[in-house]
Amino acid sequence: MPRTDTNAIGRWLSPERRAHLVQEYGIFLAFLLLVVVLSASNEFFLTGRNVSNVLLQTSINGILAIGMTFVILTRGIDLSVGSVVALAGIVSASFATTSPTAGVAGSPYPVFVALSLGVLVGAASGAIIGVIVARFAVPAFVATLGMLSAARGLTLIFGGGRPVPSLTPEFRWIGTGNVLGIPAPVIILSAVFLLSWWVLARTRFGRYVYAVGGNPHAAKTSGINVTRIKFIVYVISGALAGLGGMILTARTGSALPQAGIAYELDAIAAVVIGGTSLAGGVGRVTGTLIGALIIGVMNNGLDLMGIESYYQQVIKGALIVGAVMLDRNRGRTA
Amino acid sequence: MKRLLIALASTTALLTSAAMAQEVPKIGAAVYGLNAEFMQIWSAALEEHPAVVNGEVKLTIFDGRYDALVQQDQFETMITQQFDAIIFVPIDIEAGAAPVQAASDAGIPVIGSNTRVNSDLLTAYVGSNDVESGYLEAKSVLDAIGCEGNVVILEGPIGQSAQISRLEGNLQALKECPKVTVLEQQTANWSRAEAQTLMENWLTSHDGQIDGIIGQNDEMALGAIEAIRAAGLNVGDFAIAGIDGITDALNAVKAGDMASILQDARAQAQGALDLAIFRARGGDYEPQSDIWVTYTDMPWNGGADAEYNVPWTPVTTENVDKLLAARQ
Repeated sequence: MPRTDTNAIGRWLSPERRAHLVQEYGIFLAFLLLVVVLSASNEFFLTGRNVSNVLLQTSINGILAIGMTFVILTRGIDLSVGSVVALAGIVSASFATTSPTAGVAGSPYPVFVALSLGVLVGAASGAIIGVIVARFAVPAFVATLGMLSAARGLTLIFGGGRPVPSLTPEFRWIGTGNVLGIPAPVIILSAVFLLSWWVLARTRFGRYVYAVGGNPHAAKTSGINVTRIKFIVYVISGALAGLGGMILTARTGSALPQAGIAYELDAIAAVVIGGTSLAGGVGRVTGTLIGALIIGVMNNGLDLMGIESYYQQVIKGALIVGAVMLDRNRGRTA
Repeated sequence: MKRLLIALASTTALLTSAAMAQEVPKIGAAVYGLNAEFMQIWSAALEEHPAVVNGEVKLTIFDGRYDALVQQDQFETMITQQFDAIIFVPIDIEAGAAPVQAASDAGIPVIGSNTRVNSDLLTAYVGSNDVESGYLEAKSVLDAIGCEGNVVILEGPIGQSAQISRLEGNLQALKECPKVTVLEQQTANWSRAEAQTLMENWLTSHDGQIDGIIGQNDEMALGAIEAIRAAGLNVGDFAIAGIDGITDALNAVKAGDMASILQDARAQAQGALDLAIFRARGGDYEPQSDIWVTYTDMPWNGGADAEYNVPWTPVTTENVDKLLAARQ
């Protein structure tokens, strides 16, 4: 397509514009294609209950992946989220159990105490990582790898390695409840998504996140408090991991110390499939949400068709690599 | 010179501890991992064994952290420290063979417990027959649906010895009911969350068709129950069974939601320890655990048997309260 700036159509289809279109809508088109293929090959796929299931099954990874997006936008990575999921799950559950032996006090606390504690535990884990990464300049990979191990250990210590069962109906509502038929985790994911979208696209903090990831030195010289921005993104990721951990616990009905193992990998996969660059500075939570939906839809569709989970892992692997190759390609054309 | 002194001092220390070991046998227990409830109950039972409480033996438990190589390293450590006997719960049936060989070469008896290892060098094995449990749980589901209808099977990680044996038992029971169709058979890796997702999807693709759910462990059966609840269906309309008798499952049995087959971790652990002490003392030992009194079907036989088969206990509404009380 020759580049012409003289007429509107030519301008609209200029290479920059085309690259922009692929970046904006490529992943969305891929998602639609997947939905069309699965709808055609399985009669149950597009039923109301299944759509509700897919959204429900995507909600936890979606929430973790949105937190991960903030971190990756600043050129960081958060490997600790799976362990933080388990830690926040077991701590919050200990304040929401009717079991006389598993809980902290023998009787459950008001549900807001348990819920706040879960988010706080996640945010605190994130704050520790944030200080180590932002203040002491330890690579994010190393700092969060350390937290991956430490948070899992703390989970086992806190719960004595045992699950915390018998949770109150109020606590379980965040996993099993619904409003007008929409599952509570889906509502929570939607709220997290909208808030994150607004923060990244419309606030000064959001612009700073992109600036720090795009070029940290330029960001620093232009007066942005890079240390502070980096600190905050890990707190966000941790808090959202805490939230995800509580939803998981509420869904399964028991806080399990081995919960959330390798969840960080699915979250990173969603971010990468969604087009956020691991080099930082480029990407959007909309892409991440669609990335998480692609993973959820794929797992669900293959389950419906009775395809073994081992193949699902292979397909997911191919998808991640394919998405990054597309990303590389995009980098050249844009 | 200083280094020489330190070397001398540590040699003396080693000799002293070796001399002490003559009196109090050192027993090591290498377990595949301590993150899940079953192995915690198993380990706690070891610590509560009369011989450990009395200080007649010195017990050390090694957490294999679900890694065959970690377990191998722990064996090397125990061999170096001249343990008198080792109790082994391997992560993998094949990978467990090498450490058993190493211990055997060093003349240390190895008693298997709970999980099998593919080695003829094992001194003895105390465990429960997984084929039997697979048969029992499938039978309870099939009986409940009147030997007719559709079932799904939630499997453990494909290739693990418990998955292979429990599936064999499942299929044995299914063979007796030719009118039963297996709609789906898929792994959920022993995980409650994975089983929940799988079951949600199956309830969609086999809407109204599933009568029974055979979970190869309790965690997965419990995940299926949550999926049924989340779909707004009645748990009572499904026949569900699991294996192991974990605490959450005991509560679910009590509530009438599922059936479970208890695997007696305590008997497996304490039985193996009695055999380990028996070997460490060169045969001069009478077993002290009360499990030999409880299970008359599993006689001690002078500690000479190669295999001790701990019977399974189906959890019923009659015995569940007693079992739950024992967990407190």
